[in-house]
Amino acid sequence: MVRIVKRIAWIAGCLLLTVAVVWGMEARECADCHTDTSIIEEGGCYLYIDPVQYSRTAHSEVGCPACHKSVTDDHPDDGTRPPLPSRTICGDCHEDVAKEYRASAHAANADCVDCHNPHRVRPVAAVSGFEMNRVCTKCHDPKEVSRTHGVWLPQAELHIEALPCITCHTGSKNYVITFYILKVEKHGGAMTKVKVAALEDLKGIVSGKLGTLVDADGNGTISLAELRAFNASYRKKGLELWGMMTPEHVSHSLETLDNRWDCTFCHASGPSAMQTSFLAFPEGQGSYRRVPIERGAVLDAIYGTPDFYMIGVTRNRTLTIIGLIIAAAGLTVPIGHGSLRLLTMKNRKRRK
Amino acid sequence: MRAGEKIYLTPTPVRIWHWLNALGIVTLCVTGAEIRFPEYVQVFGSYKAAVRLHNTAGIVVALSYLMWFVYYAFVARSLIKTYVPTAKDILGGMVRQALYYFFYFFLGNRPNPHRQTPENKFNPLQKASYMVIMFILTPLVIVTGILLMNVVPLRAIVLVIGGLKVMVAVHWLLACAFCAFLFIHIYLATMGHTPFAHIKPMWTGWEEIEPDMYDEEAEAQPKVADETSNVLQLQKEKSPPHLKKAAGE
Repeated sequence: MVRIVKRIAWIAGCLLLTVAVVWGMEARECADCHTDTSIIEEGGCYLYIDPVQYSRTAHSEVGCPACHKSVTDDHPDDGTRPPLPSRTICGDCHEDVAKEYRASAHAANADCVDCHNPHRVRPVAAVSGFEMNRVCTKCHDPKEVSRTHGVWLPQAELHIEALPCITCHTGSKNYVITFYILKVEKHGGAMTKVKVAALEDLKGIVSGKLGTLVDADGNGTISLAELRAFNASYRKKGLELWGMMTPEHVSHSLETLDNRWDCTFCHASGPSAMQTSFLAFPEGQGSYRRVPIERGAVLDAIYGTPDFYMIGVTRNRTLTIIGLIIAAAGLTVPIGHGSLRLLTMKNRKRRK
Repeated sequence: MRAGEKIYLTPTPVRIWHWLNALGIVTLCVTGAEIRFPEYVQVFGSYKAAVRLHNTAGIVVALSYLMWFVYYAFVARSLIKTYVPTAKDILGGMVRQALYYFFYFFLGNRPNPHRQTPENKFNPLQKASYMVIMFILTPLVIVTGILLMNVVPLRAIVLVIGGLKVMVAVHWLLACAFCAFLFIHIYLATMGHTPFAHIKPMWTGWEEIEPDMYDEEAEAQPKVADETSNVLQLQKEKSPPHLKKAAGE
């Protein structure tokens, strides 16, 4: 009996291995043509798959045929053009997401692949807020977005710069502050251009490991002291930190939620809400690696994150106390002098 | 000048500026408190309303400051004379005035050493504090406010100055200083011979001479040399009946 079970297990193992080899072979066969840039000239840029970016996606683990089911063995000689993977195919694996998305008004206007390139897709933490917004601008004209928001939203442009669209336009949850490194290019002392620093930009500035640019001791966490040291030294070299409020758990329920019209959804949570932040280092090919920052760093008075401030939220405790002492000092005059004035009223009456 | 006489101390443009400024600063303090502490201060319905009102009040205060500056610098041409303490003020005047406020006033045995005239409106301590407020604090709070209102278009300047947080820190501390000033200012405004003696003139322009002025010195010189007082002269000639009555004529 044991022998029979062993034989069955051996045969099943061989079968699985064969399937895996065949799949792998098929993926390799696809890669032979689709990772060769010459395919762009032959059929269009959408046929080209960047092998490095694709290898970083979870999709590379399931292989090409898992999504491109209609591709035959005779491809491309069979003369057919396989259709793009449909929403149904995405839903085979991403069932909950597909269900959530189908319920949103956005589903009638865009398919999964209109926003997500399955050959480049990465986890939300590895995508910059700027990239998230760039996807939206494929359909939504930035000028029009700016105009329509400016009608009701104070500092509309600043909000658009500091928030991925999905922060307000989805039911995403758990917001954190993610800092990205910006490169300020100066010309003759005057600032000319600010752009998100790419890996190549930083390589020219940092000699050792890129992470040590801010995380000097390389312990995987950026302390407040390290953040201050970065700002003190690298700001002069044209590097700035730009903070964005990004969601940790992304929802595909694309809509404008009523509570997002209320500024206090973001602006009244108090300093306790601003404890968690990350610094995203570019890893090349538009991918980012996040390093956690010491809790509460965004609340540091000046040097921790000099260019990040959310009214009503990132108030610094020390400055608040100093300010209140100044205001209270003003009150001591009417209270102190006024009390003595009342007590000595007789002296002045006597004179009159 | 005798006790009960009135002098025209505060011209109309200055009074307009003062009350516009007062309304603006009170609004800024309250909306500012709501903007900084939204969990604790909720006065104006929504946070957006507080932000919009704060921005509007800020613009009003900035424009009224401009009006104040243009009036004193170019119309009355008395900006320096009115607001900058003289050497005499610094050497002895401030101490004398402080002694009066914190000592003689309570004893009730000496009059206020400062006599208000249109040319010498403020006592040395007032001059010093108004000079700091009008020449340093107000411009700073206006500039930081303008930068904070226009972060995107003026980002280059914000970065050069030290970043958003420097702007916010300066703006917040200045706002607290203005709040402190407000408490002191309103209290000191009640220090006239009656609680409203200094407040009414800021509305009407006419200040009544304090009884304390009518002391031995005033008795010896009943007509103070006031060639300054073109306006005072005007008052004597054209003063409305109620003023004559008040002056006991």
